[in-house]
Amino acid sequence: MDQDLLHQAEVKAAVRTAYEAIGSGGGEPVARRLYREEQLAGLPAGAIAWALGVGNPVLHAELRPGETVLDLGSGGGIDTILAAREVGPTGRAIGIDLLDEMVERARGHAREAGVGAWTEFRRGEMEDIPLPDGSVDVVISNGVINLSPRKSRVLAEIHRVLRPGGRLCVADLTVEEDLPAEILTSDAAWAG
Amino acid sequence: MAERVFARKMEKAGFTDVWIGEKVPYGIRDAALYPLFTPELIRLMERVIPPERRGSVAIAVIAKARKP
Repeated sequence: MDQDLLHQAEVKAAVRTAYEAIGSGGGEPVARRLYREEQLAGLPAGAIAWALGVGNPVLHAELRPGETVLDLGSGGGIDTILAAREVGPTGRAIGIDLLDEMVERARGHAREAGVGAWTEFRRGEMEDIPLPDGSVDVVISNGVINLSPRKSRVLAEIHRVLRPGGRLCVADLTVEEDLPAEILTSDAAWAG
Repeated sequence: MAERVFARKMEKAGFTDVWIGEKVPYGIRDAALYPLFTPELIRLMERVIPPERRGSVAIAVIAKARKP
């Protein structure tokens, strides 16, 4: 019998359950901390309401018009939309998210933001990215990789879908000092 | 995951020019802004994390790398 010694399936299920349960993101308080005023201007209220990131990867990604950018764990679509603005209609922005309902929500936000024609959202998992090898110029993500129990697998998948010379630019959380055991064993902490 | 572990995992995946910067402390008050951190978890964090660590439970970073 296979044994999941690292409880990967359990962690993944806890993250999914927590993600399905929330009714909105961090909203304006989170968005205003992370993004510049000019980035927030013109964004649909729904995209701002669903902000769940921990940084501003688009600000650091040096995206160029015409590039193809993948947003891993796109949520309500805020970073995908910002990336789509940077790559423009000659480029392509692709968001991938775990939940069908979030994919639908992000599609609506992208249409509302006026970038729907060159933006697409797909349901998928970051450990098994539904894109061909070497098909992407830049991968961004925002507070998502730390949620995976298989981080090395995620990074290998990002490497696979990037073309040679392609870039990775992610915002995420690192922890330098062990947290107390009560937190490390909490399902809720795995999802946060 | 510690920063050095994150950097090593990126290198092991085949990335070069790994850079981690823009480091911003992420504390319990920051976590409380996110619905993924339940009120129960926030209360637990406030109970078991020493006051001197509550303002920097984690570090928000930007990580960049390139595929050769």
